[in-house]
Amino acid sequence: MAELAPSRIEVRDLTLMYGHDTVLDALSLPVPAGKVTVLAGPNGCGKSTLLRAIRRLHQGQRGQILLDGVDIGAFGAKDLARQIGLLAQSPSEPPDMSVEELVRLGRYPHQAMLQPWSEKDGAAVNRAMGGTGVDNLRHRRIGSLSGGQLQRAWIAMVLAQETEVICLDEPVNHLDMAHQLDCLDLVAKLNREDGRTIVLVLHDLNLAARYADQLVFVHEGRVRALGQPEALMTPELLAEVFEVDAAIMTDPVHGRPICIPRGRAKAKSAREVA
Amino acid sequence: MASPMALPNGWSRLGSTKATVYAGLMGLLALSVLMSLTLGYKIYSLGQVFGALFAHDGSETAVVIAGLRLPRALIAPLTGAALGMAGVMVQTLSRNRIASPDTLGLNGGASLAVVVGSVVFGVQSLVGLSLAAAFGAFITSIVVFGVAASAGGLSPLKIVLVGVTFASLSHALVEVILTSNEAQLQQLLFWLSGAFVDRPINLFYNGLPVVLVGAVLGIGLSRALDALQADDSTAAGLGVPLAAVRGLAFLAVALLTGAAVSMAGPVAFVGLVVPHAARRLVGLRHIHQLPAAALFGAVYTTLADVAARYVIYPVEAPVGAITAVVGAVVLLVLLARRAA
Repeated sequence: MAELAPSRIEVRDLTLMYGHDTVLDALSLPVPAGKVTVLAGPNGCGKSTLLRAIRRLHQGQRGQILLDGVDIGAFGAKDLARQIGLLAQSPSEPPDMSVEELVRLGRYPHQAMLQPWSEKDGAAVNRAMGGTGVDNLRHRRIGSLSGGQLQRAWIAMVLAQETEVICLDEPVNHLDMAHQLDCLDLVAKLNREDGRTIVLVLHDLNLAARYADQLVFVHEGRVRALGQPEALMTPELLAEVFEVDAAIMTDPVHGRPICIPRGRAKAKSAREVA
Repeated sequence: MASPMALPNGWSRLGSTKATVYAGLMGLLALSVLMSLTLGYKIYSLGQVFGALFAHDGSETAVVIAGLRLPRALIAPLTGAALGMAGVMVQTLSRNRIASPDTLGLNGGASLAVVVGSVVFGVQSLVGLSLAAAFGAFITSIVVFGVAASAGGLSPLKIVLVGVTFASLSHALVEVILTSNEAQLQQLLFWLSGAFVDRPINLFYNGLPVVLVGAVLGIGLSRALDALQADDSTAAGLGVPLAAVRGLAFLAVALLTGAAVSMAGPVAFVGLVVPHAARRLVGLRHIHQLPAAALFGAVYTTLADVAARYVIYPVEAPVGAITAVVGAVVLLVLLARRAA
């Protein structure tokens, strides 16, 4: 299981501050190779910052992040972009850009300055568009796409980058239920079929438990707990980390744990549990 | 064996569409330059033009064509090309489709630098004033983006607001300096009217290498600029070194705008209008956007310069007034459509 797989990425004692606010507090996290790791936690717990730090968009004050045992600070900008892809939270593009123009951006780290567009680039773009089902939309302006189509086009852009590790920051925000499942099934397929290492930030705990090999609860800048969803989805942990009083059941369809919040847990009792 | 019928996919067809666009724009450019040489207060035949340019017979016709018509037929398209490319890069950098060298205050900053260079530092040479214009544009771009960024995040609206403020400020300073230095006023009105008439041909020779450097820089950055159309996180995630690309692109914009101002003074709103046409013709990739904007900008300013000779015939209208009217209409349409 997840714990036995070798770590692709290793976050070690990472402390990251914005001004005087400590966002990540000596946080450590293994990201196992070929698995889906889902980061969950309340608003402001530092999960997005952690994901962005893994992609080196934030630099920590102390600690380090290793990719296959090498500090990510040692990689060149394009070099790292060929290893770790990122779908940012609420990404933006000019609405008159075509889907194909958007997906082609994913090839940026593979091209030297003024190097002509290669067959390899073209093949990667076509594969990415085919895999996400946007190949029939290639000449559409992205401003004319539905929310679900747009998200698939963005995922195609990240896929064209052909990275072994893919980070997605709340990829199903603003999507309806069907498109949330579309998007996460696509991500699960990338993991299953291509063996890619996936790191996701998700707000919906039931979706997190359903898709995660390794679920991570981030709380106040630290990893409070990590492991298989079955081990983490307990009333005690949910009360402590999310401050909700929840019943845990097993989803009869997928056999994964689901939570049904009764209401807000009192913050005080949550502390007592801790 | 590859017949046009056997093209494998939409790719080659797309390529040939762009080739048609480029060929069409180059044809239009050649045509508009010929119009600029032949049409005006007096209309010359093509034979007279070729005679004047290649035979040097010393006739009055030859003097007018070689000394007056030729400089503006060269300076107008080069200015338009420079402002078109600068406009593309400014709109990408600010992620704002109503940004341009004018709205960001770059034209104003370049004008101010020319006036200060002339009045305060006594710069007289064309080369010196051209350098002052480029320097002014560059400093203004740093200040405008610096102020907009320090106010917390580079919001597209904030950049334009800061830019418009700087544009007004520099125009005010230019007027103050010129009204208190009447001797220089006559000499510098030449720069500040925004026109192609009565420009010495040397301005073209000075501007050409600067524009070429700016264009080469822009083309070299084209892939990074493509990625920079996305948000910062996405661009950085693709491996774009944001600060370095922004710095170099500002340098290119400053060179292009500075060269344009040094040749023709501030010609209004060219950099605003041209990128919209270029994107409609060839799409959003800068490797195509920049050349298309250069060609379209060249055609646009050259035709505007020809039109300036006729709108209030027999008197000439300043070309800046014509581009300002067209630009204002385009800006209003864009604002009404919320393209900004």
